[in-house]
Amino acid sequence: MAVRADELAVTRSRPGVLGRLRVWLDREPVLGPVLVTPALLLLLLLVAYPFVMALYFALSNSFIGRPSEFIGIRNFVKLWDSDVFRQTFQNAFVFTGIAVIFKIVLGICLALLLNEQLWLKRLIRGAVLLPWVIPTALSTLGWWWMFNSLYSVVNWTGIALGIMSPPGPNWLGQAYYAMAAVITVNVWRGLPFFAITILAGLVAIPKELYEAAEADGAGANARFWHITLPLLKPVLAVVVLFSTIFTFSDFNIVYVLTHGGPINSTHLFATLSRQIGIDTGRLGEGAAISLYLFPLLAFVVWVQLRFVRKQQF
Amino acid sequence: MEPVSRRHFLVGSTAGLAGILATRVPPARGQVREVSYLCWNNFAPASDKKMAEIGQRFTKDTGIKLKIDHISHMGPQQSKYASEVQTQAGHDLVEMRMHFPWLYEPQLVDVSDVVAGLEKQYGKALSSSYEGAHVNGVWRAVPQYHGMFVAAYREDLFKKASLKVPDTWEELYTVGKELKKMGNPVGIPISQNYDSISTAGPVLWSFGGMEVDKDGKTVKINSPATAQTIEWYKKMFKDCMEPEVLSWSDASNNESLQQGKAGWIHNPVSAYIIAKQKKLVTADGINHHRSLGGPSGRHETDTPRHIGIWKFSKNVEPAKEWIKYLIGNKANYDEYIMAGDAFNLPAYEKLADHPVLRTDAKYAALRGEGVQYHTYGWPAPPSDKVQLITNTYLLPNMIAKAVTGTSTKDAMAWAESEMKKILAG
Repeated sequence: MAVRADELAVTRSRPGVLGRLRVWLDREPVLGPVLVTPALLLLLLLVAYPFVMALYFALSNSFIGRPSEFIGIRNFVKLWDSDVFRQTFQNAFVFTGIAVIFKIVLGICLALLLNEQLWLKRLIRGAVLLPWVIPTALSTLGWWWMFNSLYSVVNWTGIALGIMSPPGPNWLGQAYYAMAAVITVNVWRGLPFFAITILAGLVAIPKELYEAAEADGAGANARFWHITLPLLKPVLAVVVLFSTIFTFSDFNIVYVLTHGGPINSTHLFATLSRQIGIDTGRLGEGAAISLYLFPLLAFVVWVQLRFVRKQQF
Repeated sequence: MEPVSRRHFLVGSTAGLAGILATRVPPARGQVREVSYLCWNNFAPASDKKMAEIGQRFTKDTGIKLKIDHISHMGPQQSKYASEVQTQAGHDLVEMRMHFPWLYEPQLVDVSDVVAGLEKQYGKALSSSYEGAHVNGVWRAVPQYHGMFVAAYREDLFKKASLKVPDTWEELYTVGKELKKMGNPVGIPISQNYDSISTAGPVLWSFGGMEVDKDGKTVKINSPATAQTIEWYKKMFKDCMEPEVLSWSDASNNESLQQGKAGWIHNPVSAYIIAKQKKLVTADGINHHRSLGGPSGRHETDTPRHIGIWKFSKNVEPAKEWIKYLIGNKANYDEYIMAGDAFNLPAYEKLADHPVLRTDAKYAALRGEGVQYHTYGWPAPPSDKVQLITNTYLLPNMIAKAVTGTSTKDAMAWAESEMKKILAG
């Protein structure tokens, strides 16, 4: 049966509700905000709200379950007067500085190794990720057992091999050893993140560059310094940025391994913040401790993101 | 009966719903009285099972539903309390350790009426329960039980070496030297944990010292008594212990005794109870003697537990009924205490010589005659500032500094300066 053209036009001009919704959503000014809204709501609820609350607590004399009042930056000023806080401040920089340097160097080495043609390459790449995948509190309990004075498998092995004299290092009871222990666990846990991300950067470097360099007589060292490293810079900048922030705000490793001891020598901002804010109820001071480095970290983020943009464009 | 028209149904149900929403009280027919209770995982797990059993009987006898939740003690417990208070939602009843009622004072219901009834029945609450839960003249929680710090030692080793069971901290030094020579050192933690404070406090008090005076304002840590305490720790650390005590957690001294290393520790009976339950070879050799004294007497930090009711609870009366059922009913309380195998002891004076102490000859030392029980920070009232001194481990850290090279004078000056800053803030 033949259908007249004007009948078709009538059908098209009366779409159903779904049809009208589709037409409405087809408009870019509508679809854009609709797609962004869920993410924005999540950010507002899970990032902005807690951040604003933390800021409010930090600027008040808030105590769990009691009325509080605004006291400006008094918490921040008072904290600097505390010996424990100054010690924590120093610990955070030592811990983060050493851990990030180790993660960069070892991460690049591991990535270069994983980039080679290895047997069971996929299996090895998957296994490397394990420390990153296992819940930190659980894996740190394993490390705690290894460093524990009564059961230390590290000391037992060292003594058995004749490289340690009994009873071996007091890993968690002596300030420098304890810091070395928490850094070791942090490096062990963070290394896969560095290695896999750098590996992704390595894979993206065109092979032709290496071939051309080789043809020009460049050795392995020259190729690394003049091709690999410069082209990895943007990836490294992002990895270092994230790792610096994560390492500064580490909590689980120190909380499980040393509880901040001995004599506060491994306390970080997050662990001290919990001790003051939760254990003693002083929410205001606890929040101020956790936000103390926020301006500095925000500046680091800004500098590094600028650097990354310059590298990309 | 006249059929209900659609209009009548709509008007009636809307008005009813509006009423429920306005008064925030559900209709009586659907109302079930229910209370929820948050308590910690007891070190004597059998007592948790017993509590669940008593809870079921409570529901049967009173018609009040009881929901018991358990949480690990220390860290998670504190976070949970903080979140319940901040959100004004959660459990009706909470088990509180030590001085917690002081921290949460404005959020806890006055339970003086319940405690008055229990004291009439069982005698006064123990001094540590009073210090922990009697806040500014009001009982903010009901004393439930206490876990007592005693000396747990390897009796077999003492007999083998003909060592005398010590009665004072000084005598412990004498036997400690021998124990270390035998490869079974004394195990007193000097680290950032509560067991460290639970020993450092009694040693300090026994020598006549204190952190803060009873006015709660004057720092008294820099004193000859503290110097004596530090000197005692120094010689103990050097001659009777091993450096590992600087890294210990709350569980380490128990494990060291159970695994056959430590010859003497200062701890509740949990080390022995677990050794007995797990049938460890050391269990038979472990015994207890009462805590040690010094020139100023025999003082002890024990671990009182109390039950508090949050003010935001809508079930205050049923919550009080549960406390009375568990503690005020003598048969139930006895049953509960017996299940704890001497880890949970009654918190009232007339019950101090409880039958649970006769279930094992090794509990004889727990009668604790002549021991004065205190909470952390004594004799200062456990205010939030005194809690900050406790929870930042200033006392064990002062000692740790001294035993690792800082002079006694400098270690005391450091602690004094930090404590003064806290009290001034």
